[in-house]
Amino acid sequence: MKALMSVGALVGVIGLLLLVGMIFDVVPSNTVRLVEGYMPMQMITELAIFVGSFAGLSYMLSAMGMGIPRFWQGIAFWAFILLYLKFRVYPPIPFSVRAMYGTVSLVAVFMWMSSNEEDWKKFKQPIMNVMDAQTGMNKLLRYAYLILLPILIGGFSYNAMVPKSEEPIELRTVHPAPPASTKVHGKTYVLQTSQNPYRVNPEGKYDQEYTNANIVEQGMGRLMKPNANPWDQNAQGYLKYVREGGEIFFQNCHFCHGDNLNGRGLHAFAFNPIPANFTDPGTIAQLQETFIFWRVSKGGIGLPNEGFPWASVMPPWEQHLTVDEIWKVILFEYWHTGYYPRTWD
Amino acid sequence: MRKSASQKLGVAAAAAFGIILTSGQIGIPVVGAEGLPEGFKKGDLAPEPSAEMIEAGKRVYFTKCVWCHGVDGAGDGPGADRLWPRPRNFNQGTFKIRHTASGELPLFDAKKPIAGQNDLFETVTHGLPGSAMPSWEGILTEEQRLQVLSFVTTQLVKDRKFTDKQSETQTILQLTELKAKPANAESVKRGSELVVERKCIECHGTEGRGDGNAFNLKDDWGFSIQPADWHKCWNFRGSRQDPYNVKNIFRTFSTGVNGTPMPSFADNTTVDERWDIANFVNSLCERDAEGNPLPIDPLTDKPKINFVVPANLVEGEIPADLENEAWQKAPRRYVAMGGQITHKPRNFVNRIDDIWVRALYNDKSLVYLLEWDDRTKSVAEGKLPWAPTQVNIDVKEQDPKTGEEGSIAANQNNYKVYNDAIAIEHPVKWKELPAPIKPRYLFGTNDQFPVDIVKWEADGSIRAFKGTGWDKDFEERDTYEESLKVLKAEWKNGRWYVMIQRPLGNKKDQDYDEDTFFEVGQYVPTVFFAWDGHNGDAGRKMAVSAFFYTFLNPPIPRETYIYPAVIAFGIVLLEGWVMTRRANKRKGKTL
Repeated sequence: MKALMSVGALVGVIGLLLLVGMIFDVVPSNTVRLVEGYMPMQMITELAIFVGSFAGLSYMLSAMGMGIPRFWQGIAFWAFILLYLKFRVYPPIPFSVRAMYGTVSLVAVFMWMSSNEEDWKKFKQPIMNVMDAQTGMNKLLRYAYLILLPILIGGFSYNAMVPKSEEPIELRTVHPAPPASTKVHGKTYVLQTSQNPYRVNPEGKYDQEYTNANIVEQGMGRLMKPNANPWDQNAQGYLKYVREGGEIFFQNCHFCHGDNLNGRGLHAFAFNPIPANFTDPGTIAQLQETFIFWRVSKGGIGLPNEGFPWASVMPPWEQHLTVDEIWKVILFEYWHTGYYPRTWD
Repeated sequence: MRKSASQKLGVAAAAAFGIILTSGQIGIPVVGAEGLPEGFKKGDLAPEPSAEMIEAGKRVYFTKCVWCHGVDGAGDGPGADRLWPRPRNFNQGTFKIRHTASGELPLFDAKKPIAGQNDLFETVTHGLPGSAMPSWEGILTEEQRLQVLSFVTTQLVKDRKFTDKQSETQTILQLTELKAKPANAESVKRGSELVVERKCIECHGTEGRGDGNAFNLKDDWGFSIQPADWHKCWNFRGSRQDPYNVKNIFRTFSTGVNGTPMPSFADNTTVDERWDIANFVNSLCERDAEGNPLPIDPLTDKPKINFVVPANLVEGEIPADLENEAWQKAPRRYVAMGGQITHKPRNFVNRIDDIWVRALYNDKSLVYLLEWDDRTKSVAEGKLPWAPTQVNIDVKEQDPKTGEEGSIAANQNNYKVYNDAIAIEHPVKWKELPAPIKPRYLFGTNDQFPVDIVKWEADGSIRAFKGTGWDKDFEERDTYEESLKVLKAEWKNGRWYVMIQRPLGNKKDQDYDEDTFFEVGQYVPTVFFAWDGHNGDAGRKMAVSAFFYTFLNPPIPRETYIYPAVIAFGIVLLEGWVMTRRANKRKGKTL
């Protein structure tokens, strides 16, 4: 038990030092990366480890006779959560959201502190001590608080009222409802029934099983399956079309959507919102192939109002690409990310 | 055309010869022990990677890299021609970013990477900012990165061998052991003198904006390249995602950039002098008002963007003088620019990747101060072959065929020269649009929600257009120019300074159907466009920004002072109440 607690304490100290290092920019903030797509899980795990190691730390300290009073434990834990949210999470979350999490964790701290009568007494004792001001130190503290509190709260409210020029928040629907059908190059495509004509086997027959078998491995560092090289000179059918789609992608799309299809292309940084990240399980993996066909053909301008057509610079690619080229690009996007499109059934 | 090209080549050759000649005269070679330049030491060649690693690396290469670098690694993949700078041609083993002496192969060891000195591994890990090469960290595992490099160094580098003891040597810059010199004023000043003395400014320009020899530079493969702009350190190729770190500049300066006209200065500068130069170059990089490095967005490796352009109120006339206190105090915003690839002709290679914007207003007008780096001052050589207002011009686009005649890369510095230009677009009736809705990103939604575009060109003209939709031509507004004014337009050492004044538009006699009107304390959607005349930019071939907001800073209202005072007083009362109550309770208890 003691050994376990010491390990916990050690982890806690290292973790805390890392976080402090990040806050003061001593340690580069990307030392331990939050992995895209796994970020929420990683954060919950990290926080759980922290809670465990704090327990260890507090156990060790009280075993050594240097236990931290309940009151300061609560305050420190709350401060830790706030700092963690501010400095650990990238891209940064807005203050309003942090304030929300802050309130929730404050309530949690109160619940933890008031879980039994003994703890609650210990927790509020320092506050009562200051209010009663029995000792000289407490008296001094009381006067300090009495003066500081109105100044601080007045200052905060002044700060909140001074006119600010922060970017207005816009809530955008990322996947707006598609139309029932779309007309591209003079031909109407019903989104429910259309299929990608390039999911074929080397014999040229429509074959989902064959394309499935050639989709790259999933997971970070996705790579093609052995013997599924679209650049092989003998590649036929599906794999040949993947290569052709890739060529079109790298001549037109990767400037924004990036070499790794993660929305970080050469021009991506100039746009707001930045282009879609296809490696994120929330994008093309959640959508039908025909949805992508509609989006690629019509671009930002074809979006309904809730999709903020004015915020997307996505060109209507039907003006630059043929229908066949669009289907091939879509084929490539699924092959490269290792995802399989959602189907209607 | 041919003649001028060969002329340019001649000039370049002469200039290069001149530089070599003069640098030879100035620099008495500084040679340390073992006959090596100061700061370097001999290294050993790395062993050949295992066959399994090479085979695994092939899979990585043909999934991730082949699209730009090509099947044979010749830098001619399908994406190559629309990129500038172009992807690396691996065949000759020429790599730019190294810790090794000029002309040598970079450091790469598939087995035992030396931290901080494994050049190719670090390039793949951190990418090459300012180019299309992304950071592969977090995408490929460390193992995969080593594997793909094993494949590249053994199979795709064809003319040289990383393990050939007969022909290859390694002279390694001991960067980890050299302590950086503090960047004090003295060191920076000496650096500024040295860059003149060592002729750095002949290519990089007197202000270091890369405008010195903007046309004639070519790499080993005959593709045009341009000298680095020292003011945009986040675009330094070897910056390793740490742009303000002076060590990166020191390294580039010490080892040179293979395959380009940038030589190594290891032989004719002391380590001390190199630190001075590096400190000086580093000091030029854009910083905030307090002189701190700009915060860099780790997702993009570019400065973080604030989408609000705040304009301060000025009493009386708005000054046209940059040194004026009002301009000095005005917050400066970084506006990132991307290529316009929606309309033909599409701009895949946009040479203007950012502009800096400040704004001031008084009771009548609003002035934008736009500054951007452009290596060349371009004024039109002839008339546009189409009307400047035309949309979707059916110009034959160049096929993305790599390196061949007529390709984008081959043409890069041979475009017809048009006017450098800048434009500001505002939606006219932004107030009438429901809350978040803005007009269609480029050129307005329809007749009901048009945009107003004010465009300045390097020939000195200022014109106004009305855009009424995506696919519709602009209408030129004949009378509106009279109310516009160019307070300043100057190109100096690779940078444009342009001040455009426009009316606020909230006068009764203003035409609300065509003029944007500005209201204090409101977010007015704003888009910026920029054209580089030497890039053949004209019409729709331009660089575009996202939607920014112009915000006229309101004077602070009186309530802002009153309410907090009231609140503070309330807190005092509350405190009194709590204290008395507590005191009474305690008394009651003790009694």
